[in-house]
Formats: sequence, structure tokens, C-alpha cells
Amino acid sequence: MSAWLNGIQSATSGAGLHDQQFNGLFLLFLGITGFFYLIVIVALIAAIILRRRRTGSEPLARAALFGWVGAVVVGLAVLSAASFLVDRRVDAATMGRPPLKIELVANQWWWDVRYHGASPSDEVHTANELHLPVGVPALVTLKSNDVIHSFWVPPLAGKQDLVPGRTNDILLLPRRTGLFRGQCAEFCGTQHARMALDVTVESLPDFRRWQRAQRAPAFAPRTALAQGGYAYVTQRECANCHNITGTPASGRFGPDLTHLASRRSIGAGTYPMTRGHLYAWVADPQGAKPGNNMPYIGFEAQDLHAVVAYLQSLK
Amino acid sequence: MKPGYIREAVLAAARRRTWLWAGVLLLLALGIVFAIVRLAGHDSLPSESVTTTPYAGSTGAITARSIGDGDDGQWTMAAKNYASTRFSSAREIDTRNVRRLHVAFTFSTGIVKGHEAAPLVIGGMMYIVTPFPNYVYALDLTQPGAPVKWTFKPKPLSAAQGVACCDVVNRGAAYADNRIFFNTLDNRTIALDATTGRMLWETKLGDINRGETMTMAPLVAGGKVLVGNAGGEMGVRGWFAALDAATGRIAWKAFATGPDRDVLIGPAYKPFYAMDRGRDLGVTSWPPDAWKMGGGAAWGWVSYDPQLRLVYYGTGNPGPWNPEQRPGDNKFATGVFARNIDDGQARWFYQSSPHDLFDHDGINEQILLDMPVKGRMRGVMARPERNGYFYIMDRATGEVLSAKAFGPVTAYKGVDLKTGRLAPNPAMEPKEGRVVRGICPSAPGMKDWNPAAFSPLTGLVYIPHNNLCMDWGSYEANYIAGTPYIGADVKYYAGPGGHRGVLTAWDPVHQRPVWRIKEDLPLWSGALTTGGGLLFYGTMDGWFKAVDQRSGKLLWRFKTGSGIIGQPISYRGPDGHQYIAILSGVGGWPGSIVSNALDARDPTAGNGWGSAVGDLPQKTTAGGMLYVFALPH
Amino acid sequence: MIASLVSLSACDREERESRGRPLAEAAAGGPLVSTLRAGEPPHPRPDPRAAEYENNAYAVSQGQKLFQAMNCSGCHAHGGGGMGPALMDDQWRYGGNMEQIVATLDQGRPNGMLSWRGRLTAQQMWQLAAYVRSLSAQQRQDVLPGRADEPSNTEPQTLRSREEMHSSSPAGVQGTAQ
Repeated sequence: MSAWLNGIQSATSGAGLHDQQFNGLFLLFLGITGFFYLIVIVALIAAIILRRRRTGSEPLARAALFGWVGAVVVGLAVLSAASFLVDRRVDAATMGRPPLKIELVANQWWWDVRYHGASPSDEVHTANELHLPVGVPALVTLKSNDVIHSFWVPPLAGKQDLVPGRTNDILLLPRRTGLFRGQCAEFCGTQHARMALDVTVESLPDFRRWQRAQRAPAFAPRTALAQGGYAYVTQRECANCHNITGTPASGRFGPDLTHLASRRSIGAGTYPMTRGHLYAWVADPQGAKPGNNMPYIGFEAQDLHAVVAYLQSLK
Repeated sequence: MKPGYIREAVLAAARRRTWLWAGVLLLLALGIVFAIVRLAGHDSLPSESVTTTPYAGSTGAITARSIGDGDDGQWTMAAKNYASTRFSSAREIDTRNVRRLHVAFTFSTGIVKGHEAAPLVIGGMMYIVTPFPNYVYALDLTQPGAPVKWTFKPKPLSAAQGVACCDVVNRGAAYADNRIFFNTLDNRTIALDATTGRMLWETKLGDINRGETMTMAPLVAGGKVLVGNAGGEMGVRGWFAALDAATGRIAWKAFATGPDRDVLIGPAYKPFYAMDRGRDLGVTSWPPDAWKMGGGAAWGWVSYDPQLRLVYYGTGNPGPWNPEQRPGDNKFATGVFARNIDDGQARWFYQSSPHDLFDHDGINEQILLDMPVKGRMRGVMARPERNGYFYIMDRATGEVLSAKAFGPVTAYKGVDLKTGRLAPNPAMEPKEGRVVRGICPSAPGMKDWNPAAFSPLTGLVYIPHNNLCMDWGSYEANYIAGTPYIGADVKYYAGPGGHRGVLTAWDPVHQRPVWRIKEDLPLWSGALTTGGGLLFYGTMDGWFKAVDQRSGKLLWRFKTGSGIIGQPISYRGPDGHQYIAILSGVGGWPGSIVSNALDARDPTAGNGWGSAVGDLPQKTTAGGMLYVFALPH
Repeated sequence: MIASLVSLSACDREERESRGRPLAEAAAGGPLVSTLRAGEPPHPRPDPRAAEYENNAYAVSQGQKLFQAMNCSGCHAHGGGGMGPALMDDQWRYGGNMEQIVATLDQGRPNGMLSWRGRLTAQQMWQLAAYVRSLSAQQRQDVLPGRADEPSNTEPQTLRSREEMHSSSPAGVQGTAQ
């Protein structure tokens, strides 16, 4: 629980490009517009109190009018200039650095993530997690397979919707390393709340290491138990929906499991990635997240042990 | 990563924010320009008014010369000869007497699926391969009424019917050294003794549990039986193999995807265009592991050049249909291979539809011709492609000499002869989650498998083909071995003019249509040309027609019992007279609406044919029957 | 009072059962291929789940999703058929009631239909069967799905007219009790 408190989903933690720039702009807007709001309220109150008393001189009224118009002009000019400067600075921050190209496809209720490389075969396919190198702009293409979802990693950027049949994008520029949490920000069905996205911002070498590991095919099972799990996963229900690169399991309907055990959570942030929770999820996905597309299979005990042992080996 | 490209993307993003309004205005302006361009584009579609243009090429009529068609009156392979001309030099039946053509005998195959095969005639015998269950009938032509001499029943697995994408067809057998070679739907190549019908060998080449079937007609050349698999709609991994004709042992097997050693790409590989060069393109032009289910099946036609010792065949669509699931060029799907017949090593490859967007398989026939190109005689292959372009290629090097659309095309903008690359029309590119409308040609293509014929009398190629456009909606396809891997909801309908089929007489030298015959239904039968100046083909409502090669004038027609999707042949009977034979029996991809009793209220039935041929069940019924015609004598 | 009773009666249409029960035990006596048992009553003891799933909008829409995801639509299109037979018409080769469709999914059929036993759960098969019957509009109008999640070139099931069920044996004529 402490994780929630140390800013992994805070919009003011200063981890993203927008934070530094846009938060200042926001404060400036708040200050200036608040100032004018106060003036208007004061003037209103004054007008209510002073009504019917016709003491005002023409020159004073005119001075007030010009003063007001002048203040508005100056205020608007300051806001425009500030917006423009911030926009320039955002551009300057992202310009000239090759962005990472990431494709994010939202489903009910999980995120399909692809990192595009120089050639199609360099693609990294994962789910429910984003790894970002610090200081490198990332251009994220956003698509949806079913209903409208919204991409929101508060520490990194504002919201952007994922709309079926359309392609949106958002440019991220993480400014410090850390673990963050994204969340679908558009109500998308009964399990909308359990559609989280684990975001890891790390150093470029760490990111490259992660990318290399993800590009590799899945580990072959080593223990007899895991081999049993491999047989079950590749021949039975699991393979209908899940892909494990390097094995015959090539389903496209559910999240990619090639390096499942290297992720931070299970079921789009439903459970932390631990052995016990893996058991809980595989044995009864509908208990944890009722209505999701992973069916309750009703495993025999030995099959469950085997499947979990195999999934745990998918580092 | 390429910094230049990416910097540009970032710049674009920056500009978008700063100059938002300018951008909106620009987009508006672009939109207007684009609309005008599109309208103009529609206007410039080939008009159908060329239909009755008389043949103007009587000066220098023989402008193209076919190779390797010494004619002994037999019909030993589906395409008549290695050059695939489908031309019979017999001229007993000609333009003057053809109206007296009548039925000599008929024979029922007893099967109600689509009959796409060409009968074979060797000596006094005729051989017919039926669709599943792939019976082989040997008819004795020396006896009155051509009685059955023997029947061979290979008993293919019943479950194979469930993985045959487009009806359970078979496109024919091949003959050499008193042996009949044919493929069964459950992936066996079988050799029979032509005299007795005894099985000499069988080789199992594929697995129906992975979605593989075999429907193509083998070609026998240089002591090898050349065969390939089908199943591009099931996410198979395409391959093409050569079996030893004597023993059935696999001499070589070349996959269409995967590392170079699987594709049989070695030092001899010299493709003409840069886009087809590189190491392990069969892996690197696919997302990880996608090549293992990447299609590229070799289910179409094979030609052979004995001088170059090169065998030519095309590869089918990549899997799945939805192109967004397979970024990259998807080598070596949707292209044509030239391989050395002895060791299978690839000589060249040309990808006619890189990163195929619309199921435009490259499996159509290659007609080998020697013809003048820019004043010089060249050894070429003519390929009327599914993507709508008629390619003339140098068959030694793979260079595209010309590529011209032979019907209305909105899906592409043309072929760049410098890079060899087909340019797709961005407005027609399928996108997940939406329906793109008005794509021409449709997924069955301007022309599907049904082969064209060449006539040395006119120098023209006669192409039976479709005039269909489509609406296409993509969605993410799921891969489960042995089930369809498509990811697109499609709907076909008649193209400009409202007719669904066309027969085009195409001048390969001048790259233009000489005349066209409009047919109401899609044309799904092959064509046959004869020395008598005739062209034979059939329609899906059962008419078997003979027209004049020079003018396209209809000279004779006969209504058979079922729709025709087969390949007509001509042979000299034991009595010395010329005969014309055709298998009638509707089915195949569009005909499955009849042969598999589809429900046309669903426009996507049969992968899009529900809307296009919903009227077919009123026009014909299923039933396989051989018809043989002759003049009265 | 009456209004609330009426609205309660519609609740089974909306109920969402997320786990389902396994097929094996409940199939005691079996989901029969009644076409192979000419002369016998088709289903002496109809499976109670048949009516449950068939009259449940959630089950039908889940079935619709599975029909696409498990590639059923690759062979049967949106009911019009293709490699496999049409499902929206009134011909049922292996019987057209819920139990028979589930049996077809579970066991496979010889001319190409594959067996999904061990690949789909019992619940998924029931959901698929409910959707398959919706293709010929066998359910109540308020249960039928109005549209699919994917872009589709077909009209919604709610606009289809109900097909009477014919089959090669009298058994198939009997639909599931509503």
C-alpha cells in the first residue's frame, strides 16, 4: 500500500515532461485568472453596495474602464506568451532525439504493448507494462480493440483516449527513473478499475538490457513439473488465446506470456507477481476479476501445480 | 533506428501543436485536393467501351511466340505444356464448323463439389481427378461411350474437408512415363500406373492439423514431380517440393518463409530488385515467430523452362489477411520464385505484392513466351496477376519489363519499374476497426487461379477473370493451429459496369486489351485456345462457349448440367478426330455458395461471396459431369 | 408493485455467471447426438443449463465474442457458412438444440468440425451454442445481440426473422424449451 503513497500515480511527482512545464503554466494561469476573478467579485460587491448612489464622475469611470481593458490585455498577453514559450520548450526538449516507437492497444481490460524496432523481427511484444528509458522521448500509438479506453500515467503525462477504429498518439518524455502506475481513465466496463499499467522508467542501459531479454524466445522448461505445465499450456485451453514466443502457443486473443514472470503484476495490476497470486489467478481468474475473458477452467491439482511452475519459469 | 526518419516524426508532432490552425486549414485544403484527385482517378478507370473493339493486330499477327508446344494431340498436363500456353494446334474444329459441335459422350463423377481439374488424355485413355474424395477415373476412349477402365480411390481423411479454404477442389493430375501423379486433399502425392491404376508410391507431405491441404496440379519435369501446399487462410507455412518421379522420395523442399536455408536461398540467388535481396528475409521481414504461420503457400501453377532448367511458381498470401498484424514485407509470400529444378536453389524471386494488403496471392500461371520487347526478342513470362496487373518479366533475371492493369484498379497506384515495387493506394489501406469501401480488385483478385490461354495465331493472351470490388473491415485474428487465420470481414460486389466476370483478350506486346466479353457471373473456368482460331471457356451458370479468337464473337455455346469452373482441353481421339472436353460441376470459392449450401443472407458467407453471388443457387445446381464434344463424323 | 415484478422477471436475461459449471458431471446421460438415436425421445432429461444460457443476453454476447476469437467465423462466417456449413439457415446436420450444438463443439464432427474438448471450457461451449442459435434468431428478441464489437458487414441479429428448425431426424426439430 505504501507504493500508492510514494507517488507512483501522482500527477505532481515531477517525472514527466509535462510536469515541470505544464504545472508552472497551470499555476500562472491559476494566479492570473484568480486575480481577475477577485477584481470582478470585488467590483460586483462594490456595485451592489454603491448602487443608486450616483456620485461617480465621468473621468473616474473612464479611467476605470481603460484600466480594466488594459489589465485584461496585459493579462492575456502574458498568458499567450507563457503558453507559447512553454510549447517551444516542450518542442526543444523532444527535438532531435529519436523517440522510441511503442504501440499500445487497449482491450477489456488489459493493455497489449509492442515496441517497434528497426526491422519487424526486432519487435518486442508484452502486456500491461511499459518500460521507458529516462530522457528518451517515446511516441506511443494508441488503439483500441473494443470500447473507448483512456491512457493515463499521471506522473508522466495527461490523458489520451484510445478509440476503436482510430489511431491516437502521445509523446512521453520521462525525466527521472522510478516505478509508476498508469490507469485506464475512461469507464470501459465492469473491470475498468482493474485495468492498470505498470510503468518502469529506467536508465538507457537498463532499458536496452530489458529489451534484449524480452526479444528472446521463452525459456524452455527445466524441471519435470514445468515440462508438464508446458505441455498443458501449449496444448490445452491456454494456447487458444495466449502467445508464448518460441512455443506452439500462438494465440492472439489474450496477453502475450513469453516473459510473464518478469512483470510486476498479474491481470493488469490485479495482483502482484508472486507465486501465491499466480496460483490464485490461474486457479480462478474470475474470482479476482469477474467478467474478464480468461475462463475458469477448474484445474486438477497436479495440472495447476505444473502450469504455475511453468509460468513462473517464464522470466 | 533511423534518426532522420524519427526526427521528422518529432518535428511533425511539434508543428502539429504549434501551428494547429494552420494544420487544420492545410488538412482541409489537402482533403479537397485529394477528393478531386480521387474523382479524377475514378474517371480514368479503364472504360468498358473497349468491349467491341475489333482485333486490329492483323498486321504482324504473331507478335509473341510460345516455347515448347510441340503438339502430339495428347494432353499430358493441366496447362498442356511446360510453357503453360493451353494452346492445342488441332484445327479440325474451326470458326466455320464449330456451330455443328455436339456432345460425343458424357460421364458423371458422382461428386457434387467444385470440379476445377483438367482431364488428361494419353494415347487412348482419359484420366480425371475429382474433388475430394479425389477419385481417379481412367476412361477407355477406344471403346464406344468411353467406359471406365479402372478407378482409384485414395480415401483421404474426412477431416481434411474442414481445412480446405475454398471448397475441396483438385486442379488436376500430371502424366509421365506411364504414370499418373496427383495430390490428395490430405497432403499425399500419389503415383499410379497409368495402365492398371495400381498405386506405385505415395508420399505424405503435410499435416491437416496445421491447416495444410493440397489442391494444385503437379508438374512433372526432369524426372521430378513438383508440388506445393495450400492453406494460406489457415496460417500454414507454405512450401514447394520436388519428388523423385520414380520413387516418390523428396528431392528438395523449399519453404516460403523462414531462414535462407529453409527457403533454399544460396549463392545462386540473384534477384533483380534490391527489395528482394538480403539475409534471412523470410525471418526479418516478419514480426517474431510470425513467419511460422506466415502462409506463402504454393497452391497454383508451375511452369518450366528446359533451357534454363528453371522452374517457376508463385507463392500465396501471407497469413493472416489483416495486414496490421504482420508489419514488414512478409517475404517470400505473394511473389514468384525461379528455382533450379535439380537442387531447388532459388535463382531469383520477385515480390509482386510486398506486405500484401488484400489477399492478392501471386500463384497465377506464368506463360513462357519469346516476344519482342522494345524491339528486341526476349525470353519472358507473362503473368496476369491477382493484384490486377499484367506482368511481363524476363524469365532469366526476374526483371519486370512491363506491368499494366488489365481491369479497374483502385487498390494500387501502379508498379514502379525502377524498384519493381507495387505502390498501394493509402486511401484503400485496411485499418483495424474500420471498413474500407470500394477496393478494386477484390480479395479473389482481378483474376484468381483460373488460367489464361495464349494463342500463337493472334499473339494474344485470353484471360478469364473477375470484375469485383469489395468492402474490407480488419480485426485482430487469433491463431489456433488448424483453424482459419484471417482477421478480415469482407464483402464483394460487381465492379464498374455491373458485370462480375470478364474475358479479356490482352495484347502482351502493346500492353492493352484488344476486346472484352462481359459475363454476368464471375469467370472461374480456365481458357483453351485451338489452332482452329477458337477460344473455349465456361461460365458459372453452366454455359460452355466457343468464341472467335480474333473478335471475341460468340460462335457456339452449350448448356451443361452445372456451373463450369474447370479447365477445357482439346485432344485427338483414337479415331484421329479432334475432341473438346470440359468438367462441369460448380463449386470452388465462389461456387461453394451452391456446393456447400451457404446462406447468402450473410454477405460475408464464404469469405465475402454471399453478397457477390447470392443469385447463383437460382442459376445452377451442383453435380460433377464430364462433357466431351466433337463434330459429327 | 406490478412494474417491479415485471422488471424482476427480466433479470435472468441480464445475469452474469462468470465461472460456469464443468460439462462432465452435468453431462450424465450425455449431450446426445440425437440424430444418431432415431426412434428414441431426443432428450429424456434436458439439461437445465440450456435454457439458462440461451435466455441470457450476457451469455449470447460472450458467445459472439468467442465465435470471432476462436475463429468459428473463419469457417461459418457470420452464420452464412464458408468452409463450414451455414448456421443461420434451417438445416442442422447434427441437431440444432442447445445440447446438440454443445455436443458438436465438444466432440467434433467427421467432415471437418474439430473437437474443442480440452480447448474450450464447458461454459464457453454453452455460450457459443447460445450464440449459434441466435444466428437463426431462436431466442427472444430482447436477448439477441444488437451488434458485434468488430466492424461488421452484416446486419444485426435482432433484424433477422426466426428460422424454423429442420433436421435430418425428428429429434432436431425440437427446440429447447423457453
